Amino acid sequence: MIIAERRPIPEILANIENYEKVLVLGCRGCVAVCSAGGDREVAIMAEAIRLARSLQGKPIEVLEATFIRQCDPEYLEPLKGFKDEVEAVVSLACGVGVNLIADLYPDVRVYPGVDTTFYGANLALGEWVEKCRGCGDCIIDKTGGLCPIARCAKNLLNGPCGGSQEGRCEVRKDMPCIWHEIVERLKARGELERLMEIWEPKDWRPAGGDGLRVRIREDLRLNGGK
Amino acid sequence: MSKNGLKLAILCCNYTNLSDREDFLEIPVNLEIKRFPCSGKIEITDMLRALREGAKGVMVAGCLPGTCHNGRGSERAEKRVLGAQKIIEEIGLESERIKMFFVDRLDGGDFIEKAKAFYKDILNLELKEREKK
Repeated sequence: MIIAERRPIPEILANIENYEKVLVLGCRGCVAVCSAGGDREVAIMAEAIRLARSLQGKPIEVLEATFIRQCDPEYLEPLKGFKDEVEAVVSLACGVGVNLIADLYPDVRVYPGVDTTFYGANLALGEWVEKCRGCGDCIIDKTGGLCPIARCAKNLLNGPCGGSQEGRCEVRKDMPCIWHEIVERLKARGELERLMEIWEPKDWRPAGGDGLRVRIREDLRLNGGK
Repeated sequence: MSKNGLKLAILCCNYTNLSDREDFLEIPVNLEIKRFPCSGKIEITDMLRALREGAKGVMVAGCLPGTCHNGRGSERAEKRVLGAQKIIEEIGLESERIKMFFVDRLDGGDFIEKAKAFYKDILNLELKEREKK
């Protein structure tokens, strides 16, 4: 899922300092699962803003809502019911949601309430770890399902660097060297020779090097995508 | 004892301890006691709201670890206090204004002593604030 983290409250307060009525808008997608932007976090953010502004002697009215998603136009429809009522929206969705609101509702002042950080897995309560970089040219079929793009600090494609020691990453000693794990896993499976295969240079265009990434599936589109 | 105008909130579990307002008369503040089904049900929003509604300090009280009716409710409360402390620090308040206390369920004296100590801490913060002004 997409992992996000609450932005520092002073930054959010600075963005809305001139307003007297705002909406804190959550999303029940990834940010709810990673406890950054679901119903509970909306309530906390709203109360934090109210408290801060009341301490500043500038009380503010804060509405709260959480949509099923903010990354689909149809799920953003209920925003129409709020947009004339509030002066600004603090979105706790990932950057996708904030951008889509900005695209579809140009008259709405929308500000991010979270920093969107990475694609990760929830390993334990309160712990998320990056597993995928979204580079668009997956190579984990060759590496035992372990991604060296996301999980190697140097994004190496040809084995561990000279700095890894005893299976630990040189850059982050608290992290395993993913290339060490790849080699050990393939060795255990008797598939180590697969790493002798010469790969073609990785295509970085799908990672964003070719500009904005767009995916169109004609087999799903109706009415020319309208 | 006459009240000094200071307001404190005690947010606690219904089972933590049965001490009530009259048991805290020695503490010269306006005391608001809010009880929850379990301290694990006390949300960060409850702590922030108590401050917004005028409390100068929020004492969150839960059962001693291992004695919670619901397993680990008071441990959850302790974690939420950490979350609330981080938020109030960011908005310029001292983190000590919200504090977690594990209270003996059967010993009212323990609860009252901890409330007194918390009151003194908050009073000191208030006096420092007044000095700054």
